[in-house]
Amino acid sequence: MAEQIATLPYGVGRASARWKLLVAFLAGIAILGWYGWYLEIRRGMIVTGLRNIGPMGGATWGFDVGFVVYWAGVSFAGITMAAVIRIAKLRQLRPIARMAEALTVVALILATFAIMYDLGQPFRGIINLFRYARPQSPFFGTFTLVISGYLFASAVYLYLDGRRDAAICARTPGRLQWFHRLWAAGYRDTPLERERHERAGFWLAVAIVPLLVTANATLGFVFGLQVGRPGWYSALQAPAFVLLAGVSGIGMLIGIAAVVRRTVADGERLSDDVFRWLGNALMFLLLGYLYFMVVELLTNVYTGSEREREVTAALLSGRYAWIYWGSVALFVIPLALLIVRYFRRGGGLATLVASGIMVNLAAIGKRFLIVVPSQTHGTLLPYGTGSYVPTWVEWAEMAGLFAFGALLLALFAKLFPIMPIGERDDA
Amino acid sequence: MVIDLDRCTGCRGCMEACKIENNTPQATFWMYVFRFEEGEYPGTKVWFMPRPCMHCDNAPCVKVCPVGARYKREDGIVATDWDRCIGCRYCEVACPYGVNTFNWTHPEEQYYLDWQDPGVASTTGGSVPPWSNPDLELPYGPEERRIAGGGRNKGVIEKCTFCVQRVEKGLDPACVVSCPVKALVFGDLDDPDSAASKLLASRHSFTLLEEVGTEPRVHYVGGHPPHSESKQVEAVEARV
Amino acid sequence: MKRRVITLLMVAAGFGLQAIAYLFLAAPLGIPSAVRFSNPRVPFAPALFILGVILVFLAGVVYELMPDRAGRSTGEG
Repeated sequence: MAEQIATLPYGVGRASARWKLLVAFLAGIAILGWYGWYLEIRRGMIVTGLRNIGPMGGATWGFDVGFVVYWAGVSFAGITMAAVIRIAKLRQLRPIARMAEALTVVALILATFAIMYDLGQPFRGIINLFRYARPQSPFFGTFTLVISGYLFASAVYLYLDGRRDAAICARTPGRLQWFHRLWAAGYRDTPLERERHERAGFWLAVAIVPLLVTANATLGFVFGLQVGRPGWYSALQAPAFVLLAGVSGIGMLIGIAAVVRRTVADGERLSDDVFRWLGNALMFLLLGYLYFMVVELLTNVYTGSEREREVTAALLSGRYAWIYWGSVALFVIPLALLIVRYFRRGGGLATLVASGIMVNLAAIGKRFLIVVPSQTHGTLLPYGTGSYVPTWVEWAEMAGLFAFGALLLALFAKLFPIMPIGERDDA
Repeated sequence: MVIDLDRCTGCRGCMEACKIENNTPQATFWMYVFRFEEGEYPGTKVWFMPRPCMHCDNAPCVKVCPVGARYKREDGIVATDWDRCIGCRYCEVACPYGVNTFNWTHPEEQYYLDWQDPGVASTTGGSVPPWSNPDLELPYGPEERRIAGGGRNKGVIEKCTFCVQRVEKGLDPACVVSCPVKALVFGDLDDPDSAASKLLASRHSFTLLEEVGTEPRVHYVGGHPPHSESKQVEAVEARV
Repeated sequence: MKRRVITLLMVAAGFGLQAIAYLFLAAPLGIPSAVRFSNPRVPFAPALFILGVILVFLAGVVYELMPDRAGRSTGEG
């Protein structure tokens, strides 16, 4: 326990040329996204493709809102991992815990940016939300629980969970030693402290799970409570949001884990078992989500009000059909691949990563389909069909957020071990 | 407000009067008049339906506003505090009637003509825009909030206010006053002697989208609600 | 012992603050029929709610980080 570690594990503190190139590339895209936001702040939201519902024939919520929901959904992954590992005592999944927690924090930061992009008065918004937010509005939950509460809770969890590893890293002299010492905050690996650490982690995980469920359910309520938007008004929205959050989060986590396994020193610690578990979790969540999709589809096709049928028609055979059926395919194909993997008890990492990417593309498509069609089609007063085409600003903002998220994770991996350092005789 | 569909001629003068009184910018129409055509020729029928904000008693837009910028006054008007609005546009997606408009850019850039242009300024005497209404800057109500007028700030939402700046002075909204056939009647529906109450009592009436439970305060007499056969002709296709 | 007490107090205070802020300090719930439904009863009530959430999770940090009495750790959690 007292020996120094000569070099920090998992490439911490060692930035290769390849890594620097990656960071520069990601930073460039992120800056492009923020330039788009700068234009939005200077000229107004007219630089987007959004326009008023009604006589102006547009959609007023588009990419921005869709991606807020998407990122909040992706953040599901970290806390699920934390909860599962601690509460169900699935110790073999420990290696993935840290990157999952980091993913949650990063995804919530991206969701916050996406919200800021969406507000017409973002800076006024920060002050006025803290000052005036009304509990009756579904956005109250989004603001207080999702962005403030859940983000803080996840950051606390990441911090406390990392203290032990920080203490180990702090024994290695180098440029990062001060940072690791700060994080460790005097952790000594005595049995007492370890026990305390485990207990705190357990209860934090228990406390975060209800927060996670309410956070995603609240997002579902943002849409599901609106009687004036056929296609939105449904009791299914809240639970379906939670499930899709799980699907996209685990899918994203698979991708990140695969990158870590390939590029980080000692990445093979992420064993096939871990990936098998992730694949199975994704499979079951997909089955659950597809159940919701089928129920929704059958209900809408069987009957509906005239306006609801307009929206359904636009989704199934009209303007949005390519996105709808494309997303269905991108859910069903991975499900098939995962079922085959399940029964064969293993398979290549490539198909698993491909599944993770596909379900995320499908989730983005599905989020878009939740947000936009009920604004351009099926308006209760006969305004006629509207249209929404995102502009380059919106594409840039979203690409910028993906790049920024990847950048944050890449930076994190160099500052702190991306996997928990070898556990000795786990207590 | 009570709207007599048997009288409306679809002239859309109310839309223009609203624009001038409230200084709304381009493509922003708080009052909107549908022009419908129904049936097959030669049995077609053409009719018109003015649609202001409904100022609902169970307003979904008020319920969802995260900061309370959209609120319901005691006198029943649903108002938007443009100092507090953060531009999230939740009220716009929540409204079943589609009455909300958002300031997509600086309102000064959206007033139909370049009022700074010397050729134009010579006709307007230099004021920009020439119809700006000073009453719109003032706060209103015991709550003292700035709720009047369109084109206030970039990035905030606005909608029909029943011309609160006129109502506070005891006048009727601009659309009501400008209607050449008196199709729009404004008044206190709790007072049985008001013109609005009398008109409402005299004939069969309906409200729009009754089934969604918003309890609108705009009633229609004569005619019928639009249905699946009602097709809009001459829709105002305005886009910024 | 002191550690456990303080932690539990923080959790209770946090949940209490959330409940109070949500039910009594922020804008009232109900069909909006007057201006008061759109204003918080106490300014910055939502910030207090968030503070309550933060308190609950900070309790975890306190539980782990609180230094033991100088010299001896008593062996209790």
